[in-house]
Amino acid sequence: MNVLIPYSWIKDYIKTNADAKEAARILSLHCFSVERINKVNGDDVLEVEVTPNRGDALSVIGIARELNVVLPRNGFKCEWVGKKSEVFHPASTDDCLEAVIKDKTLVPRFCAVVLSNVKIGESPQKIKARLESVGIRTLGNVIDVTNYMMIDKGQPMHAFDYDKIEGHKMIVRESKEGEKVVTLDGVERKLPEGVIVIEDGSGRLIDLCGIMGAKNSEVDESTKKVLLFVQAYDPVRIRKASMSLGHRTEAALRFEKGIDFEGIIPALYDSVEMLHEIAGAEVSSDLIDIKNVERNVKSIPVDYEKINKIAGIDIKPEVVDQTLSDLGFENRNGFVVVPSWRYEDIEITEDLAEEVIRIYGYHNLPGRLLTGEIPVTERDDSYYWEDVVKDLLKHLGFFECYTYSCTKKENVSATALKIVNPLSEDLLYLKTSLLPQLVEVLDKNQSYRDKIKLFELSSVYFSNGKDLPLQQQFLGIVTKGIVKIELRGILEVIGDEMGIQDDSPFEISDFGNGKFGVEINFEELVKKATKEKTYIPLTNFNSIKEDLTFSIPRGVLYPQVRSLILDSDERIYKLGFKDIYKNALTFAIEYLDREKQISSEDTQEIRKKIFEKLEKIGVRLKV
Amino acid sequence: MTPVNFYIYISLALFPITDIFVISMDISENHENLKHELKEKLKCVSSRQDLEKIKLEYIGKKGILNQLFSKMTDLAANERKDFGARLNVLKNEIETIINDFSNNFSQPNTSEYDELYNSLPGKKPEIGHTHIITQAIREIVDIFKPLGFTRVRYPEVDWEYFAFEALNMPEDHPARDDWETFFVDLPFDKKMGRVVLTPHTSNGQVREMLKGKLPIRMLNISRCGRRQIDISHGPTFFQFEGLVVDKNINTTHLKGVLNYFAKNFFGPDRKIRLRPYDFRFTEPSFEVDIDCGMCHGKGCKLCKGGWHELGGAGMVHPNVLKAGGIDPEKYSGFAFGWGVERTYMMKSGTKIDDIRHIFANDLRFLEQF
Repeated sequence: MNVLIPYSWIKDYIKTNADAKEAARILSLHCFSVERINKVNGDDVLEVEVTPNRGDALSVIGIARELNVVLPRNGFKCEWVGKKSEVFHPASTDDCLEAVIKDKTLVPRFCAVVLSNVKIGESPQKIKARLESVGIRTLGNVIDVTNYMMIDKGQPMHAFDYDKIEGHKMIVRESKEGEKVVTLDGVERKLPEGVIVIEDGSGRLIDLCGIMGAKNSEVDESTKKVLLFVQAYDPVRIRKASMSLGHRTEAALRFEKGIDFEGIIPALYDSVEMLHEIAGAEVSSDLIDIKNVERNVKSIPVDYEKINKIAGIDIKPEVVDQTLSDLGFENRNGFVVVPSWRYEDIEITEDLAEEVIRIYGYHNLPGRLLTGEIPVTERDDSYYWEDVVKDLLKHLGFFECYTYSCTKKENVSATALKIVNPLSEDLLYLKTSLLPQLVEVLDKNQSYRDKIKLFELSSVYFSNGKDLPLQQQFLGIVTKGIVKIELRGILEVIGDEMGIQDDSPFEISDFGNGKFGVEINFEELVKKATKEKTYIPLTNFNSIKEDLTFSIPRGVLYPQVRSLILDSDERIYKLGFKDIYKNALTFAIEYLDREKQISSEDTQEIRKKIFEKLEKIGVRLKV
Repeated sequence: MTPVNFYIYISLALFPITDIFVISMDISENHENLKHELKEKLKCVSSRQDLEKIKLEYIGKKGILNQLFSKMTDLAANERKDFGARLNVLKNEIETIINDFSNNFSQPNTSEYDELYNSLPGKKPEIGHTHIITQAIREIVDIFKPLGFTRVRYPEVDWEYFAFEALNMPEDHPARDDWETFFVDLPFDKKMGRVVLTPHTSNGQVREMLKGKLPIRMLNISRCGRRQIDISHGPTFFQFEGLVVDKNINTTHLKGVLNYFAKNFFGPDRKIRLRPYDFRFTEPSFEVDIDCGMCHGKGCKLCKGGWHELGGAGMVHPNVLKAGGIDPEKYSGFAFGWGVERTYMMKSGTKIDDIRHIFANDLRFLEQF
């Protein structure tokens, strides 16, 4: 999550000679990436990408805390000048609030205080300017203070009009399905089950907790008394509610990352002080502070050796101790106590190692290549054959394509697997064939040139009962503008290149308008492939070559003719299809005798044998 | 330098003709050499121009023969006569050789359109294109291979267990939202969870560990899917995932290997940096940046303060090792998983401004690679 942090605001906490640009660079290296620095009203506003584990740093104080650790380690002066929060003294304790919490896990800590004599008005310029620089609209002094504290301390808070809370009673509970609440933005929201809400004495919902307050209890111009409300909610429930309502507020984003348990009261103190200063507010109740969860001290052993093993360099124990203590960890005889603001984030030695090494600086670590044993692995030939086939097809003029794994209903077979949450109807099913999408590519590119040849080598996905789908690599080929026999030739060349003996033909689909396609289970093909080559001894005798054209009667097919010719005599060295015109089929034949020089008398004899064989199936030499 | 000129250059070096020739004791042998050399040169002649050059060299005004005649004045009178006679014989012989050659020489394809024809480009055989993703994958594999990494492939449609749980991301963990995962309409399995289009190649980590062979240097390259379509995301994309597990693997190894990759893939002048990050399956975790190819780290419109994010990396979390049946007290490891397309786009000079081109299969795009 990105937060906007004005550099001048950071200086409420630290005094340093580093400028915003330098601070941003150092922050990026050790803590969080500063994506940019925006100039707003003469101030440098840092846009910081805070990692999901660091809810504590979604605040000015959080960023200042980090800078206070890293700036001095990068040659800058830095001194903590943040003020301690002042405990308030109630002017009276006339007001009170009855809080009923149905389930303690909903709100681990519940804090509130009533303020009287509140004079609603505009905020001072400084507060308005700071809020504006982080993109928050100013909405009057009370609301502004709650927003200000959210940015300053990372603690979202809410202000109710105390007099609008019927019976001055709050019942914190989970919502029932279908309950409705109108939030501050005027939108009526229908709630699912399990959203944390507050009901007042009259049974109205007055807060969509942690996300946004309700309209019926909002602070307005006539407000005299304010209930200042500062909580820690159950992060999981807040996240689920905010997601399912589609209402991702700044408050919700902070609550769902977890709140500094010990930061709640100081934030409350500070806001009371501010409201006293700018709105004349006086505390008129006791401090309400209900802890529903007891947080034990979390301490973790410091394993110096392990930290060094992870870092790969020698970081001295003193340096480790100093780093952790600067980060707010309290050292107790080989253990450190995790600071309250890192309570959820730090669990194990590896976490401490990360803290120590990042502050040391990843950029200060050397880079080393691997040493040690080289794993012995079996070579997977499929990658080799992939390369062979892709290169072959490329050199035969093919374009390689990659299409999406999902496609529309019309493109898949009946058993195709469906995506539960597709992006669109066009991406509803896992593909069961490469061809439909490749034909779409062909159509889309039809004006590119007359002859187009495309292929894709990718997985297709077949349903496999309850188990993971079968997912195998298929080779899909589509062409436009070439004749079928040419495509067949290409497929045969693939077989030749892969050393495949089995020449059972592939099924060619006709997509009309001169478009053809073939799909081959590549994994099966690879099983048949071989890199083995056997040398047939060369002879010093010459061969004799000739073409023979036969007239083929109906019903006789090429393979039959071919095998009959080959069976005629072993001196037929090579036999190839050369041409066809109507039913006149021309073979190119090469004769070779390995024992002696073959003569025209020999070939005449062989030819006679061929004619005899072919005669039987009605195939005759074309004259 | 044309082949002919090259030949002359060599032959002069082999047969220093002029000065040494004159003081040489055996004149006739030198004459034979000279003729032999001429014949050899003529064998290499392929055009009239070449022939004219040779004529000039031998029988031109400042040619070898005239140079030899001019040396006569240096000789004593008795030697002069014999020398002159021999030289005249040589001159006749050389002229004959050249004339014979000239008469029989016919330049191939000579015609009045020669010049035009020679200016034409060659007729190219029609060659296609492997896809940019294939090219990138090949380069990646080539770079990691010498370090002992072996390429593998794991299911593209996989159990939630391997995509998340085994990677220390329990059900309901917010980190799982970031992956915006596609779910397949198949029954929920008590142990394995739902079936998903794997949102990253990290699903291969625990699968690789469960093979039970150590050490590991894995390079898993595969298709992934996420519910995102915009200028830098497509619903289908490729990732490459490196995983090393061995004794004594530490952060400096991760840095060394990624640096090695970056220098080889992007060029020796490019730099990477590691930034702290947070992934559930690594600890510590890093985001790896490469300096901007346009501004070289100064900061420009295209980058974030001089850097581009390449992807995530980190030291394998002990819980992930445990899920893979490996004792984290004895073994440690690192992993990284980056988008193939994205990484390719960071190459200097690629200038692809929208990742969606890569799956659009527009041949006008593909022909550029």
